[in-house]
Amino acid sequence: MISPTKIWRRQKTTVKQLGLTGTVVTWTKIFVPSSEYTSLAPFTVVLVELENKDKAFGQLVDFDIKDLKIGMRVKSVLRRVREVEREDVIPYGIKFRPTSA
Amino acid sequence: MIGIVSYGFYVPKFRIKIDDIASVWGKNPEDIKRSLVINEKAVAGLDEDSLTMGFEASSMALSGLKIDRNDIGSVLFGSETPPYSVNPASTILGEFLGIGNNYLASDTQFACKAATGAIITTIGQIASGATSLGLVCGSDKANAATHDALEYTAASGSVALLLGQENLILEILGFHSYSSDTPDFWRREGIRYPSHGGRFTGKPSYFRHIKEATSKVLEKTKLVPSDFAHAIFHMPNGKFPREIAREMGFSESQIETSLVVSMLGNSYTASALMGLASVLEVAKPGQLILMSSYGSGAGSDSFVFRVTKNIDSRRREFKKSILKKEYIDYSTYLKFMNII
Amino acid sequence: MIKVIGFYSTEFGEIWDKSLTALIADATLGALADAKIEKEKIDAVFFANMLSGVLENNLMLPARISEVLGTHKPVFRTEAACASGAIAFHLAKNWLMANPGKTALVVGAEKLTDYSPEEVTAGLAAAASGEEQAAGLTFPGLYAMMAQVYMQKYKYTEENLAYVSHKNHYHGTLNPKAHFRRPVTIDQVLKSAYVAYPLKVLDSSPISDGASAVIVTSDESLAKRSSHAVSVLASETATDSISLKGRTRLDGIEATQIAADLAFSAAKLGRGDIDVAEVHDSFSIAELFAMEDLGFWKKGSAGSQIRDLATMIGKGGKLTVNTSGGLKAGGHPVGATGVKQIGEIYLQLTNQADRRQLKKVKYGLTHNVGGSGGVAVVTILGT
Repeated sequence: MISPTKIWRRQKTTVKQLGLTGTVVTWTKIFVPSSEYTSLAPFTVVLVELENKDKAFGQLVDFDIKDLKIGMRVKSVLRRVREVEREDVIPYGIKFRPTSA
Repeated sequence: MIGIVSYGFYVPKFRIKIDDIASVWGKNPEDIKRSLVINEKAVAGLDEDSLTMGFEASSMALSGLKIDRNDIGSVLFGSETPPYSVNPASTILGEFLGIGNNYLASDTQFACKAATGAIITTIGQIASGATSLGLVCGSDKANAATHDALEYTAASGSVALLLGQENLILEILGFHSYSSDTPDFWRREGIRYPSHGGRFTGKPSYFRHIKEATSKVLEKTKLVPSDFAHAIFHMPNGKFPREIAREMGFSESQIETSLVVSMLGNSYTASALMGLASVLEVAKPGQLILMSSYGSGAGSDSFVFRVTKNIDSRRREFKKSILKKEYIDYSTYLKFMNII
Repeated sequence: MIKVIGFYSTEFGEIWDKSLTALIADATLGALADAKIEKEKIDAVFFANMLSGVLENNLMLPARISEVLGTHKPVFRTEAACASGAIAFHLAKNWLMANPGKTALVVGAEKLTDYSPEEVTAGLAAAASGEEQAAGLTFPGLYAMMAQVYMQKYKYTEENLAYVSHKNHYHGTLNPKAHFRRPVTIDQVLKSAYVAYPLKVLDSSPISDGASAVIVTSDESLAKRSSHAVSVLASETATDSISLKGRTRLDGIEATQIAADLAFSAAKLGRGDIDVAEVHDSFSIAELFAMEDLGFWKKGSAGSQIRDLATMIGKGGKLTVNTSGGLKAGGHPVGATGVKQIGEIYLQLTNQADRRQLKKVKYGLTHNVGGSGGVAVVTILGT
């Protein structure tokens, strides 16, 4: 179980990163995931340079594969970020969606 | 005057066709589509839930407004599928929206009318001076047992409304609630899927409650059906709202803009409000809108809105936005709904 | 001068019948025998391991090593993900420089195959930042992200990467201790399944068990008695941010560049002096980065230079790379890797590398990277 305290602490960063637009610096598609991400796999992860010049990692959702490239414009959205047991606190965090979506 | 300052909505990208569900169970899709008047429904992704969709809708509602988010003194989250049984979604929503901490957070539950009840609560809070602005969000990732009649309609979506007293897009001219103990649909603690009373959800439930609430609000506001440019009735399927409209003297043209259920399914708490989001895309200043929700258990909240000139600057593109969609097959649907 | 006087490695691979402690014992006793010294001769032990705490709930390994050796001598443990082994060696070298006339054992070991690939993947992801992990990034995923930048910038395709695996698998066929001892064609690499796009199974080093140990000494008379001794000319390490977010560039590994510059200047050698190198090819792309960041090849040129296969055994190039099969074919028991790299160069410089023995080798280099480039260690050995 991820500690609820950890989730609570990370939320402070998440709030600041939500709803920002940015540019994909690089990306990969994960086919062999860690144990907490198996049901989502395969999934695409992007490194994004945000409008405020910060960088952030997140999975890319709701995109068309033909649009996927370095330099694509994305916006940060709120999603569930990892699988946890039904008894656990739900970790919400940043993912990215193309601004065109 | 108390009313709606702005609104936002969220429809997930994925759709499943009724044909695909029907064929799994050996049903003739045409029979299902004819009887429910629905072609496809919206499905949230595996990593989405009522809270994430509620955040999307609420973010849209708050975007472009010249307000201080700290002035929002109330966040009410209505859902039939909240992320937790115990632990409010309204605080998670408030946190991620950056509303500060000086607000009343509350989760409401009343089948598909949890959010319209929250609108009335918020009206009360504003009227009493407890807050000047209040956010109401209705959101559901509605699930149904496989092979249940509800599987064809239970859908995902969210709508959020910001209520206040100034700079309104919709004035609330009147409202009325009608409630009774009518167990037509329920889900007990620890049970995954809701149960329902089949045809019992019709006449003594949906029709009776909406008819009573709507009649009373018309009486209170001294209005008749022909006064309204648009009417919206809760949409458990495509058939019921048409029937209740006809029964109450509303024409097809008054309700047709609101009937998003045939394309999006029934997003439960967000269902009637989704009809409102569709109507607001075309509503003109001065027009009257009637909206009646229904929640099993049972009750109906009926509202009369008058559109103001502010609508033009806060209209949201609806029709075009829901065309951005991706079809999924039945097994992907089961995965996204966490059934497999 | 600090000298390496003995080396032993277990086989790398799926070693079902050995526990971590058994692997450590095998490598340790093997290295002592190779150096022809008694265990009493060891004054300190430097031990490298990454995941025993994460996967096995197995810590306090220094005391276990004390049990294996039957000694009360100091044992130090290092953890720097995949660079744990070279860091242990680096610390042993420094310790010996401060302690003339002493002898140290450097042993690296890892036991991974008791766990599912998802569990090991999750464990290895501990070498990534919390944010990278939260986004679902795996260790191959981080290298894949860097590969994307590199390939786009210098206009290479997956085929350019495939040559690394092809070469190192050939070397693996010559190493009886390699995890994989079969050749792979470029086509086989390209047709293997993706792990993290654009990296595939055959671009990636395997999950291996294994242990390696070297004996290092500052005892000059002991070194003089040894039939096979090589000098440690330099061992330098540099660090960088754990997250790719904090890197100044993503088309290579800056820590490698810094460590290499320090090492070459400490050894007073130029790039052209090196005859043999074991570089960190955890993924095919990593060997291309290594060749550029170590200064052997011009930045951006590795993708095309690798196609000449000039660094393959038997091609007659001045510099041959990853004769052991590298991490790719040789196997990658994380903590053991950096120690094995030193051992492979030791074998080459002392003419003990059997079928993969190069001719006339004088200077060798090892390059070990931790995480996605947060730690790099460059070691130079000479005869």
